[in-house]
Amino acid sequence: MRPGRLIGKAILALAGFLAVFPLLWTALNALKNNVDIITRVPRLVFTPTWANIGYILGRDSVLTGLYNSVVACGSAVLIGIVLGLPAAYAVARYPNRWAGDIQFFVLSLRFLPPVAVAIPLMVIWLQVGLYDTLPALIITYSLLTISVIMWLAIPAFQSVPKEIEEAAFVDGYGAYSVFWRIALPVAARSLAGAVAFSFVLVWNEFLIALMLSSSNAKTLPIVASELSQQGMNVPWGILNASVVLLSLPPLLFLGVLSGFLNSVFRQKKT
Amino acid sequence: MARRTSLPVTFVVPTIAILLVLSMVPTLYAIVIALQNRELSTPDYSWVWLSNFVDLFLDRRFLNAVWVSVKWEIVTVVATMVVAIGLGVLMFEVASPRLRNIYCLLFIIPVLLPRVSAAFVWKFAYHPLYGIATYPYRLLTGGLIFDPLSKPATALFAVASVDVWQWGLFFAVIVLKLLETLPPQPIEAARLDHAKRWQIHAYVTLPMLKAPLISLMFVKMIESLRSFDLIYVMTRGGPGVATETLDMYAFSQGFIESGKVSYASAMAVLMMIATVITFTMLWKRVQA
Repeated sequence: MRPGRLIGKAILALAGFLAVFPLLWTALNALKNNVDIITRVPRLVFTPTWANIGYILGRDSVLTGLYNSVVACGSAVLIGIVLGLPAAYAVARYPNRWAGDIQFFVLSLRFLPPVAVAIPLMVIWLQVGLYDTLPALIITYSLLTISVIMWLAIPAFQSVPKEIEEAAFVDGYGAYSVFWRIALPVAARSLAGAVAFSFVLVWNEFLIALMLSSSNAKTLPIVASELSQQGMNVPWGILNASVVLLSLPPLLFLGVLSGFLNSVFRQKKT
Repeated sequence: MARRTSLPVTFVVPTIAILLVLSMVPTLYAIVIALQNRELSTPDYSWVWLSNFVDLFLDRRFLNAVWVSVKWEIVTVVATMVVAIGLGVLMFEVASPRLRNIYCLLFIIPVLLPRVSAAFVWKFAYHPLYGIATYPYRLLTGGLIFDPLSKPATALFAVASVDVWQWGLFFAVIVLKLLETLPPQPIEAARLDHAKRWQIHAYVTLPMLKAPLISLMFVKMIESLRSFDLIYVMTRGGPGVATETLDMYAFSQGFIESGKVSYASAMAVLMMIATVITFTMLWKRVQA
Protein backbone atom coordinates (compact mmCIF):
# COMPACT_ATOMS: atom_id res chain seq x y z
CA MET A 1 0.00 0.00 0.00
CA ARG A 2 2.89 2.38 0.81
CA PRO A 3 4.14 3.07 -2.74
CA GLY A 4 0.54 3.34 -3.92
CA ARG A 5 -0.18 6.08 -1.39
CA LEU A 6 2.98 7.91 -2.37
CA ILE A 7 2.05 7.85 -6.04
CA GLY A 8 -1.45 9.00 -5.16
CA LYS A 9 -0.08 11.93 -3.18
CA ALA A 10 2.25 12.82 -6.03
CA ILE A 11 -0.61 12.82 -8.55
CA LEU A 12 -2.69 15.04 -6.26
CA ALA A 13 0.19 17.46 -5.75
CA LEU A 14 0.69 17.61 -9.51
CA ALA A 15 -3.03 18.30 -10.04
CA GLY A 16 -2.94 21.04 -7.42
CA PHE A 17 0.07 22.54 -9.15
CA LEU A 18 -1.65 22.37 -12.56
CA ALA A 19 -4.74 24.03 -11.11
CA VAL A 20 -3.01 27.26 -10.14
CA PHE A 21 0.32 27.41 -11.91
CA PRO A 22 -0.95 28.56 -15.35
CA LEU A 23 -2.74 31.43 -13.67
CA LEU A 24 0.25 32.39 -11.52
CA TRP A 25 2.43 32.26 -14.61
CA THR A 26 0.05 34.64 -16.38
CA ALA A 27 0.17 37.00 -13.42
CA LEU A 28 3.97 36.84 -13.50
CA ASN A 29 4.01 37.55 -17.24
CA ALA A 30 1.87 40.61 -16.60
CA LEU A 31 4.86 42.02 -14.72
CA LYS A 32 7.39 41.27 -17.44
CA ASN A 33 8.83 43.30 -20.26
CA ASN A 34 8.36 41.74 -23.66
CA VAL A 35 12.00 40.57 -23.85
CA ASP A 36 11.46 38.51 -20.71
CA ILE A 37 8.32 36.81 -22.11
CA ILE A 38 9.51 35.99 -25.60
CA THR A 39 12.25 33.60 -24.56
CA ARG A 40 12.64 29.97 -25.49
CA VAL A 41 13.54 29.11 -21.92
CA PRO A 42 10.89 30.46 -19.50
CA ARG A 43 12.38 33.09 -17.20
CA LEU A 44 11.63 33.09 -13.50
CA VAL A 45 14.06 35.84 -12.59
CA PHE A 46 13.49 39.20 -14.22
CA THR A 47 13.16 42.87 -13.39
CA PRO A 48 9.44 43.49 -12.85
CA THR A 49 7.66 46.36 -14.57
CA TRP A 50 4.35 48.02 -13.82
CA ALA A 51 4.10 49.34 -17.36
CA ASN A 52 1.67 46.66 -18.60
CA ILE A 53 -0.75 47.10 -15.74
CA GLY A 54 -0.46 50.87 -15.98
CA TYR A 55 -1.14 50.73 -19.72
CA ILE A 56 -4.23 48.54 -19.22
CA LEU A 57 -5.66 50.72 -16.49
CA GLY A 58 -5.03 53.83 -18.55
CA ARG A 59 -6.86 52.67 -21.67
CA ASP A 60 -10.30 54.12 -22.25
CA SER A 61 -11.58 50.94 -23.92
CA VAL A 62 -10.60 48.84 -20.89
CA LEU A 63 -12.12 51.29 -18.42
CA THR A 64 -15.35 51.48 -20.44
CA GLY A 65 -15.42 47.70 -20.59
CA LEU A 66 -14.92 47.49 -16.85
CA TYR A 67 -17.68 50.03 -16.26
CA ASN A 68 -20.05 48.20 -18.64
CA SER A 69 -19.32 44.85 -17.02
CA VAL A 70 -19.89 46.18 -13.53
CA VAL A 71 -23.13 47.97 -14.44
CA ALA A 72 -24.56 45.18 -16.62
CA CYS A 73 -23.69 42.36 -14.22
CA GLY A 74 -24.56 44.32 -11.10
CA SER A 75 -27.98 45.36 -12.42
CA ALA A 76 -28.79 41.91 -13.76
CA VAL A 77 -27.86 40.31 -10.43
CA LEU A 78 -30.00 42.86 -8.56
CA ILE A 79 -32.96 42.07 -10.81
CA GLY A 80 -32.23 38.38 -10.27
CA ILE A 81 -32.35 38.88 -6.48
CA VAL A 82 -35.54 40.93 -6.51
CA LEU A 83 -37.45 38.58 -8.80
CA GLY A 84 -35.72 35.26 -8.15
CA LEU A 85 -35.57 35.02 -4.36
CA PRO A 86 -39.29 35.60 -3.62
CA ALA A 87 -40.30 33.19 -6.39
CA ALA A 88 -37.89 30.57 -5.07
CA TYR A 89 -39.30 30.99 -1.57
CA ALA A 90 -42.87 30.56 -2.81
CA VAL A 91 -41.96 27.41 -4.74
CA ALA A 92 -40.09 26.01 -1.75
CA ARG A 93 -42.68 26.78 0.92
CA TYR A 94 -46.03 26.76 -0.88
CA PRO A 95 -45.68 23.84 -3.26
CA ASN A 96 -48.66 23.42 -5.55
CA ARG A 97 -49.24 21.17 -8.51
CA TRP A 98 -47.13 23.38 -10.76
CA ALA A 99 -44.07 23.46 -8.50
CA GLY A 100 -42.36 20.62 -10.38
CA ASP A 101 -43.12 22.18 -13.75
CA ILE A 102 -41.82 25.56 -12.62
CA GLN A 103 -38.56 24.01 -11.46
CA PHE A 104 -38.16 22.14 -14.72
CA PHE A 105 -38.95 25.25 -16.75
CA VAL A 106 -36.33 27.26 -14.85
CA LEU A 107 -33.74 24.54 -15.39
CA SER A 108 -34.64 24.10 -19.04
CA LEU A 109 -33.68 27.72 -19.72
CA ARG A 110 -30.13 26.50 -19.23
CA PHE A 111 -30.57 24.02 -22.15
CA LEU A 112 -31.11 26.84 -24.63
CA PRO A 113 -27.96 27.27 -26.72
CA PRO A 114 -26.71 30.85 -26.24
CA VAL A 115 -26.51 31.37 -30.03
CA ALA A 116 -30.18 30.51 -30.32
CA VAL A 117 -31.01 33.31 -27.88
CA ALA A 118 -28.42 35.81 -29.10
CA ILE A 119 -29.25 35.84 -32.83
CA PRO A 120 -32.97 36.68 -32.53
CA LEU A 121 -32.29 39.09 -29.67
CA MET A 122 -29.80 40.95 -31.80
CA VAL A 123 -32.42 41.40 -34.53
CA ILE A 124 -35.03 42.41 -31.95
CA TRP A 125 -32.78 44.96 -30.20
CA LEU A 126 -31.79 46.37 -33.60
CA GLN A 127 -35.45 46.89 -34.47
CA VAL A 128 -36.29 48.44 -31.10
CA GLY A 129 -33.24 50.67 -31.28
CA LEU A 130 -31.61 49.28 -28.16
CA TYR A 131 -28.84 47.30 -29.89
CA ASP A 132 -25.42 47.98 -28.37
CA THR A 133 -26.85 49.56 -25.20
CA LEU A 134 -26.52 48.49 -21.60
CA PRO A 135 -30.30 48.14 -21.00
CA ALA A 136 -30.48 45.49 -23.73
CA LEU A 137 -27.62 43.60 -22.12
CA ILE A 138 -29.10 43.94 -18.64
CA ILE A 139 -32.49 42.61 -19.74
CA THR A 140 -30.89 39.70 -21.57
CA TYR A 141 -28.66 38.84 -18.61
CA SER A 142 -31.64 39.00 -16.25
CA LEU A 143 -32.95 35.85 -17.89
CA LEU A 144 -29.74 34.13 -16.75
CA THR A 145 -29.57 35.60 -13.25
CA ILE A 146 -33.25 35.12 -12.36
CA SER A 147 -33.26 31.49 -13.44
CA VAL A 148 -29.95 30.59 -11.77
CA ILE A 149 -30.75 32.36 -8.52
CA MET A 150 -34.18 30.71 -8.43
CA TRP A 151 -32.74 27.28 -9.17
CA LEU A 152 -30.16 27.50 -6.35
CA ALA A 153 -32.37 29.34 -3.84
CA ILE A 154 -35.20 26.77 -3.83
CA PRO A 155 -33.12 24.14 -1.94
CA ALA A 156 -31.65 26.90 0.26
CA PHE A 157 -35.14 27.92 1.42
CA GLN A 158 -36.20 24.30 1.80
CA SER A 159 -33.35 23.71 4.22
CA VAL A 160 -34.60 26.39 6.63
CA PRO A 161 -36.18 24.42 9.50
CA LYS A 162 -39.94 24.61 9.14
CA GLU A 163 -40.40 24.84 12.90
CA ILE A 164 -38.88 28.34 13.03
CA GLU A 165 -41.36 29.60 10.47
CA GLU A 166 -44.25 27.82 12.17
CA ALA A 167 -43.29 29.47 15.47
CA ALA A 168 -43.28 32.88 13.79
CA PHE A 169 -46.77 32.25 12.42
CA VAL A 170 -47.94 31.35 15.92
CA ASP A 171 -46.45 34.62 17.16
CA GLY A 172 -48.74 36.42 14.74
CA TYR A 173 -46.38 37.13 11.85
CA GLY A 174 -47.98 37.32 8.42
CA ALA A 175 -46.74 35.28 5.47
CA TYR A 176 -44.75 38.21 4.07
CA SER A 177 -43.03 39.11 7.30
CA VAL A 178 -42.09 35.46 7.82
CA PHE A 179 -40.32 35.65 4.46
CA TRP A 180 -38.62 38.96 5.27
CA ARG A 181 -37.72 38.51 8.91
CA ILE A 182 -37.24 34.74 9.20
CA ALA A 183 -36.59 32.88 5.95
CA LEU A 184 -34.31 35.46 4.32
CA PRO A 185 -31.97 35.99 7.30
CA VAL A 186 -31.81 32.28 8.20
CA ALA A 187 -31.01 31.20 4.64
CA ALA A 188 -28.76 34.23 4.03
CA ARG A 189 -25.48 32.36 3.77
CA SER A 190 -26.66 29.88 1.14
CA LEU A 191 -28.48 32.65 -0.69
CA ALA A 192 -25.28 34.70 -0.82
CA GLY A 193 -23.62 31.72 -2.49
CA ALA A 194 -26.40 31.52 -5.07
CA VAL A 195 -26.13 35.23 -5.80
CA ALA A 196 -22.33 35.09 -6.06
CA PHE A 197 -22.64 32.18 -8.47
CA SER A 198 -25.02 34.10 -10.70
CA PHE A 199 -22.65 37.07 -10.70
CA VAL A 200 -19.70 34.93 -11.75
CA LEU A 201 -21.84 33.39 -14.49
CA VAL A 202 -22.79 36.70 -16.12
CA TRP A 203 -19.39 38.30 -15.50
CA ASN A 204 -17.83 35.42 -17.44
CA GLU A 205 -20.46 35.50 -20.19
CA PHE A 206 -19.01 36.10 -23.64
CA LEU A 207 -21.11 35.01 -26.60
CA ILE A 208 -24.23 37.08 -25.85
CA ALA A 209 -22.18 40.17 -25.04
CA LEU A 210 -20.22 39.70 -28.25
CA MET A 211 -23.37 39.55 -30.35
CA LEU A 212 -25.27 42.33 -28.59
CA SER A 213 -22.57 44.99 -28.61
CA SER A 214 -20.57 46.68 -31.32
CA SER A 215 -18.89 49.62 -29.63
CA ASN A 216 -20.66 51.30 -26.69
CA ALA A 217 -21.79 48.34 -24.61
CA LYS A 218 -18.75 46.08 -24.87
CA THR A 219 -18.07 44.23 -21.65
CA LEU A 220 -14.60 43.46 -20.31
CA PRO A 221 -14.34 39.93 -21.79
CA ILE A 222 -15.01 41.37 -25.26
CA VAL A 223 -12.42 44.12 -24.83
CA ALA A 224 -9.87 41.58 -23.62
CA SER A 225 -10.50 39.26 -26.55
CA GLU A 226 -10.15 42.15 -28.98
CA LEU A 227 -6.74 43.04 -27.59
CA SER A 228 -5.57 39.59 -28.55
CA GLN A 229 -7.01 39.82 -32.03
CA GLN A 230 -4.30 42.32 -32.84
CA GLY A 231 -2.00 39.33 -32.67
CA MET A 232 1.62 39.69 -31.75
CA ASN A 233 1.53 43.45 -32.32
CA VAL A 234 0.27 43.83 -28.78
CA PRO A 235 3.01 43.09 -26.27
CA TRP A 236 2.19 39.90 -24.45
CA GLY A 237 2.65 41.51 -21.09
CA ILE A 238 -0.32 43.78 -21.77
CA LEU A 239 -2.51 40.85 -22.80
CA ASN A 240 -1.53 38.99 -19.66
CA ALA A 241 -2.33 42.05 -17.57
CA SER A 242 -5.79 42.27 -19.13
CA VAL A 243 -6.40 38.57 -18.41
CA VAL A 244 -5.46 39.15 -14.77
CA LEU A 245 -7.79 42.15 -14.49
CA LEU A 246 -10.64 40.15 -16.03
CA SER A 247 -10.07 37.17 -13.72
CA LEU A 248 -9.84 39.01 -10.41
CA PRO A 249 -13.53 39.77 -9.69
CA PRO A 250 -14.74 36.13 -9.90
CA LEU A 251 -11.82 35.02 -7.72
CA LEU A 252 -12.94 37.44 -5.01
CA PHE A 253 -15.92 35.13 -4.53
CA LEU A 254 -13.78 32.03 -4.02
CA GLY A 255 -14.41 31.99 -0.27
CA VAL A 256 -18.17 32.56 -0.50
CA LEU A 257 -18.59 29.93 -3.19
CA SER A 258 -16.55 27.23 -1.51
CA GLY A 259 -18.52 27.87 1.69
CA PHE A 260 -21.69 27.52 -0.36
CA LEU A 261 -20.50 24.16 -1.73
CA ASN A 262 -19.78 22.94 1.79
CA SER A 263 -23.20 23.97 3.07
CA VAL A 264 -24.96 22.27 0.14
CA PHE A 265 -23.31 18.96 0.94
CA ARG A 266 -23.65 19.28 4.69
CA GLN A 267 -27.42 19.43 4.19
CA LYS A 268 -27.42 16.19 2.24
CA LYS A 269 -25.70 14.40 5.08
CA THR A 270 -28.46 15.09 7.59
CA MET B 1 -48.07 25.29 6.04
CA ALA B 2 -51.26 25.60 4.04
CA ARG B 3 -52.26 29.09 5.06
CA ARG B 4 -54.51 31.36 3.08
CA THR B 5 -52.27 34.06 1.74
CA SER B 6 -51.64 35.88 -1.50
CA LEU B 7 -47.89 35.29 -1.18
CA PRO B 8 -47.45 32.42 -3.65
CA VAL B 9 -49.26 34.33 -6.38
CA THR B 10 -47.55 37.69 -5.84
CA PHE B 11 -44.13 36.05 -5.58
CA VAL B 12 -44.30 33.53 -8.39
CA VAL B 13 -46.53 34.96 -11.11
CA PRO B 14 -44.53 38.11 -12.05
CA THR B 15 -41.23 36.27 -12.07
CA ILE B 16 -42.46 33.37 -14.16
CA ALA B 17 -44.26 35.75 -16.51
CA ILE B 18 -41.04 37.72 -17.05
CA LEU B 19 -39.01 34.55 -17.55
CA LEU B 20 -41.57 33.27 -20.05
CA VAL B 21 -41.50 36.51 -22.04
CA LEU B 22 -37.69 36.76 -21.94
CA SER B 23 -37.24 33.18 -23.11
CA MET B 24 -40.18 32.62 -25.44
CA VAL B 25 -39.86 35.84 -27.45
CA PRO B 26 -36.30 35.11 -28.65
CA THR B 27 -37.05 31.42 -29.09
CA LEU B 28 -40.10 31.97 -31.27
CA TYR B 29 -38.39 34.81 -33.08
CA ALA B 30 -35.42 32.55 -33.84
CA ILE B 31 -37.84 30.22 -35.63
CA VAL B 32 -39.41 33.13 -37.53
CA ILE B 33 -36.00 34.40 -38.69
CA ALA B 34 -34.98 30.89 -39.70
CA LEU B 35 -37.90 30.78 -42.13
CA GLN B 36 -36.85 34.04 -43.81
CA ASN B 37 -33.78 35.11 -45.73
CA ARG B 38 -32.53 38.01 -43.65
CA GLU B 39 -29.02 39.30 -44.08
CA LEU B 40 -27.19 41.83 -41.98
CA SER B 41 -26.32 44.00 -44.97
CA THR B 42 -29.89 44.81 -46.01
CA PRO B 43 -33.15 45.38 -44.14
CA ASP B 44 -35.19 43.62 -46.88
CA TYR B 45 -36.25 40.04 -46.51
CA SER B 46 -38.79 37.55 -47.76
CA TRP B 47 -40.16 34.27 -46.54
CA VAL B 48 -38.28 31.24 -47.77
CA TRP B 49 -39.83 28.72 -45.35
CA LEU B 50 -37.76 25.58 -45.06
CA SER B 51 -35.15 26.25 -47.70
CA ASN B 52 -32.54 27.27 -45.08
CA PHE B 53 -32.93 23.88 -43.47
CA VAL B 54 -32.65 22.06 -46.79
CA ASP B 55 -29.48 24.03 -47.56
CA LEU B 56 -28.05 23.10 -44.18
CA PHE B 57 -28.30 19.40 -44.83
CA LEU B 58 -26.50 19.85 -48.14
CA ASP B 59 -23.81 21.97 -46.50
CA ARG B 60 -20.77 19.82 -45.82
CA ARG B 61 -19.33 22.38 -43.46
CA PHE B 62 -22.51 22.15 -41.37
CA LEU B 63 -22.28 18.37 -41.24
CA ASN B 64 -18.65 18.72 -40.19
CA ALA B 65 -19.73 21.12 -37.43
CA VAL B 66 -22.29 18.59 -36.18
CA TRP B 67 -19.58 15.95 -36.04
CA VAL B 68 -17.11 18.27 -34.28
CA SER B 69 -19.80 19.20 -31.72
CA VAL B 70 -20.56 15.55 -31.02
CA LYS B 71 -16.84 14.81 -30.63
CA TRP B 72 -16.47 17.82 -28.32
CA GLU B 73 -19.39 16.67 -26.15
CA ILE B 74 -18.04 13.12 -25.81
CA VAL B 75 -14.40 14.08 -25.23
CA THR B 76 -15.09 16.78 -22.64
CA VAL B 77 -17.81 14.89 -20.73
CA VAL B 78 -15.88 11.62 -20.53
CA ALA B 79 -12.55 13.26 -19.67
CA THR B 80 -14.17 15.51 -17.05
CA MET B 81 -15.85 12.57 -15.32
CA VAL B 82 -12.68 10.45 -15.38
CA VAL B 83 -10.56 13.27 -13.94
CA ALA B 84 -13.22 14.15 -11.37
CA ILE B 85 -13.73 10.61 -10.10
CA GLY B 86 -10.00 9.84 -10.18
CA LEU B 87 -8.94 12.91 -8.23
CA GLY B 88 -11.98 12.78 -5.94
CA VAL B 89 -11.23 9.21 -4.89
CA LEU B 90 -7.53 10.03 -4.50
CA MET B 91 -8.28 12.96 -2.20
CA PHE B 92 -10.64 10.73 -0.20
CA GLU B 93 -7.96 8.04 0.15
CA VAL B 94 -4.64 9.78 0.70
CA ALA B 95 -5.25 13.40 1.73
CA SER B 96 -5.58 14.50 5.35
CA PRO B 97 -8.60 16.71 6.19
CA ARG B 98 -6.43 19.83 6.12
CA LEU B 99 -4.90 18.95 2.77
CA ARG B 100 -8.37 18.16 1.43
CA ASN B 101 -9.51 21.68 2.26
CA ILE B 102 -6.50 23.18 0.51
CA TYR B 103 -6.98 21.03 -2.60
CA CYS B 104 -10.68 21.88 -2.66
CA LEU B 105 -9.90 25.60 -2.74
CA LEU B 106 -7.24 25.16 -5.43
CA PHE B 107 -9.47 22.97 -7.60
CA ILE B 108 -12.31 25.49 -7.59
CA ILE B 109 -10.12 28.32 -8.93
CA PRO B 110 -10.02 27.31 -12.64
CA VAL B 111 -13.79 27.03 -13.00
CA LEU B 112 -14.31 30.51 -11.59
CA LEU B 113 -12.16 32.06 -14.29
CA PRO B 114 -13.95 33.61 -17.23
CA ARG B 115 -13.70 31.19 -20.16
CA VAL B 116 -12.00 33.97 -22.09
CA SER B 117 -9.28 34.20 -19.43
CA ALA B 118 -8.83 30.44 -19.26
CA ALA B 119 -8.57 30.34 -23.04
CA PHE B 120 -5.90 33.06 -23.06
CA VAL B 121 -3.91 31.52 -20.25
CA TRP B 122 -3.66 28.26 -22.18
CA LYS B 123 -3.24 29.85 -25.57
CA PHE B 124 -0.06 31.45 -24.22
CA ALA B 125 0.94 28.21 -22.54
CA TYR B 126 0.53 26.24 -25.77
CA HIS B 127 2.56 28.68 -27.85
CA PRO B 128 5.06 26.52 -29.79
CA LEU B 129 8.10 28.74 -29.16
CA TYR B 130 7.51 30.61 -25.93
CA GLY B 131 4.74 28.65 -24.17
CA ILE B 132 5.24 27.23 -20.72
CA ALA B 133 3.26 24.05 -21.49
CA THR B 134 5.31 23.25 -24.58
CA TYR B 135 8.58 24.01 -22.78
CA PRO B 136 9.09 20.48 -21.42
CA TYR B 137 8.76 19.15 -24.96
CA ARG B 138 11.28 21.65 -26.30
CA LEU B 139 13.62 20.80 -23.46
CA LEU B 140 13.40 17.04 -23.95
CA THR B 141 13.68 17.07 -27.71
CA GLY B 142 16.39 19.71 -27.87
CA GLY B 143 14.23 22.46 -29.33
CA LEU B 144 11.79 20.64 -31.61
CA ILE B 145 8.57 22.54 -32.20
CA PHE B 146 5.20 21.25 -31.08
CA ASP B 147 2.19 23.38 -31.89
CA PRO B 148 -0.91 21.62 -30.56
CA LEU B 149 -3.37 24.36 -31.53
CA SER B 150 -2.46 24.44 -35.22
CA LYS B 151 -2.52 20.71 -35.95
CA PRO B 152 -5.94 19.35 -37.00
CA ALA B 153 -5.27 16.11 -35.13
CA THR B 154 -4.53 17.74 -31.78
CA ALA B 155 -6.35 21.09 -31.84
CA LEU B 156 -9.67 19.76 -30.53
CA PHE B 157 -7.97 17.92 -27.70
CA ALA B 158 -5.84 20.93 -26.81
CA VAL B 159 -8.95 23.10 -26.47
CA ALA B 160 -10.82 20.31 -24.67
CA SER B 161 -7.97 20.07 -22.15
CA VAL B 162 -8.78 23.63 -21.03
CA ASP B 163 -12.42 22.68 -20.53
CA VAL B 164 -11.39 19.64 -18.48
CA TRP B 165 -8.92 21.80 -16.54
CA GLN B 166 -11.85 23.97 -15.49
CA TRP B 167 -14.59 21.40 -14.93
CA GLY B 168 -12.75 18.19 -14.10
CA LEU B 169 -10.94 19.74 -11.14
CA PHE B 170 -14.13 21.40 -9.92
CA PHE B 171 -16.12 18.18 -10.14
CA ALA B 172 -13.33 16.36 -8.25
CA VAL B 173 -14.25 18.57 -5.28
CA ILE B 174 -17.89 17.57 -5.61
CA VAL B 175 -17.03 13.87 -5.90
CA LEU B 176 -14.98 14.18 -2.71
CA LYS B 177 -17.88 15.87 -0.89
CA LEU B 178 -20.21 13.14 -2.12
CA LEU B 179 -17.84 10.43 -0.85
CA GLU B 180 -17.68 12.20 2.52
CA THR B 181 -21.47 12.03 2.87
CA LEU B 182 -21.50 8.23 2.57
CA PRO B 183 -22.08 6.17 5.70
CA PRO B 184 -18.81 4.50 6.81
CA GLN B 185 -20.32 1.07 7.59
CA PRO B 186 -20.36 -0.46 4.06
CA ILE B 187 -16.76 0.66 3.53
CA GLU B 188 -15.74 -0.89 6.85
CA ALA B 189 -17.55 -4.11 5.95
CA ALA B 190 -15.76 -4.30 2.61
CA ARG B 191 -12.45 -3.63 4.34
CA LEU B 192 -13.07 -6.50 6.78
CA ASP B 193 -13.67 -8.72 3.75
CA HIS B 194 -10.11 -7.82 2.66
CA ALA B 195 -11.27 -5.84 -0.34
CA LYS B 196 -8.54 -3.72 -1.91
CA ARG B 197 -8.94 0.04 -1.87
CA TRP B 198 -9.78 0.31 -5.56
CA GLN B 199 -12.24 -2.57 -5.23
CA ILE B 200 -14.04 -0.77 -2.41
CA HIS B 201 -14.54 2.23 -4.67
CA ALA B 202 -15.37 0.30 -7.83
CA TYR B 203 -17.90 -2.03 -6.19
CA VAL B 204 -19.14 -0.18 -3.10
CA THR B 205 -18.81 3.60 -2.98
CA LEU B 206 -19.19 4.60 -6.62
CA PRO B 207 -22.27 2.40 -7.19
CA MET B 208 -23.78 4.00 -4.08
CA LEU B 209 -23.22 7.40 -5.68
CA LYS B 210 -24.62 6.41 -9.05
CA ALA B 211 -27.55 8.83 -8.98
CA PRO B 212 -25.62 12.00 -8.03
CA LEU B 213 -22.81 11.09 -10.44
CA ILE B 214 -25.30 10.78 -13.28
CA SER B 215 -26.76 14.18 -12.35
CA LEU B 216 -23.23 15.58 -12.36
CA MET B 217 -22.65 14.18 -15.83
CA PHE B 218 -25.94 15.72 -16.94
CA VAL B 219 -24.78 19.14 -15.72
CA LYS B 220 -21.51 18.73 -17.58
CA MET B 221 -23.31 17.77 -20.77
CA ILE B 222 -25.26 21.01 -20.59
CA GLU B 223 -22.19 23.09 -19.79
CA SER B 224 -20.21 21.46 -22.60
CA LEU B 225 -22.66 23.00 -25.05
CA ARG B 226 -21.11 26.35 -24.13
CA SER B 227 -17.82 25.75 -25.89
CA PHE B 228 -17.92 28.93 -27.93
CA ASP B 229 -15.71 31.22 -25.81
CA LEU B 230 -12.85 28.74 -25.60
CA ILE B 231 -12.88 27.91 -29.28
CA TYR B 232 -13.37 31.50 -30.39
CA VAL B 233 -10.33 32.71 -28.47
CA MET B 234 -8.05 29.72 -28.96
CA THR B 235 -8.56 28.57 -32.55
CA ARG B 236 -11.50 30.42 -34.13
CA GLY B 237 -12.66 27.03 -35.36
CA GLY B 238 -9.35 26.28 -37.04
CA PRO B 239 -7.05 24.90 -38.25
CA GLY B 240 -9.38 24.70 -41.24
CA VAL B 241 -12.63 23.50 -39.73
CA ALA B 242 -11.08 21.06 -37.25
CA THR B 243 -12.55 22.71 -34.17
CA GLU B 244 -15.57 24.39 -35.74
CA THR B 245 -18.50 23.47 -33.50
CA LEU B 246 -22.09 24.36 -34.31
CA ASP B 247 -22.17 27.60 -32.37
CA MET B 248 -18.85 28.66 -33.87
CA TYR B 249 -20.12 27.95 -37.40
CA ALA B 250 -23.42 29.68 -36.72
CA PHE B 251 -21.53 32.71 -35.46
CA SER B 252 -19.18 32.86 -38.41
CA GLN B 253 -22.03 32.43 -40.92
CA GLY B 254 -24.11 35.08 -39.21
CA PHE B 255 -21.46 37.61 -38.38
CA ILE B 256 -17.93 37.11 -39.63
CA GLU B 257 -18.15 35.74 -43.15
CA SER B 258 -21.43 36.52 -44.78
CA GLY B 259 -23.93 38.06 -42.38
CA LYS B 260 -26.50 35.40 -43.23
CA VAL B 261 -28.52 35.83 -40.06
CA SER B 262 -31.36 33.59 -41.21
CA TYR B 263 -29.05 30.77 -42.14
CA ALA B 264 -27.30 31.05 -38.76
CA SER B 265 -30.66 31.15 -37.01
CA ALA B 266 -31.78 27.97 -38.78
CA MET B 267 -28.70 26.29 -37.35
CA ALA B 268 -29.46 27.65 -33.90
CA VAL B 269 -33.04 26.38 -34.15
CA LEU B 270 -31.84 22.88 -35.00
CA MET B 271 -29.43 22.98 -32.05
CA MET B 272 -32.22 24.17 -29.80
CA ILE B 273 -34.59 21.41 -30.86
CA ALA B 274 -31.91 18.75 -30.49
CA THR B 275 -30.77 19.88 -27.05
CA VAL B 276 -34.22 20.51 -25.62
CA ILE B 277 -35.46 17.09 -26.73
CA THR B 278 -32.33 15.25 -25.58
CA PHE B 279 -32.09 16.95 -22.22
CA THR B 280 -35.78 16.78 -21.44
CA MET B 281 -35.70 13.03 -22.06
CA LEU B 282 -32.50 12.59 -20.04
CA TRP B 283 -33.85 14.75 -17.21
CA LYS B 284 -37.08 12.77 -16.95
CA ARG B 285 -35.01 9.60 -16.86
CA VAL B 286 -32.65 10.97 -14.17
CA GLN B 287 -35.63 12.02 -12.07
CA ALA B 288 -37.46 8.71 -12.48
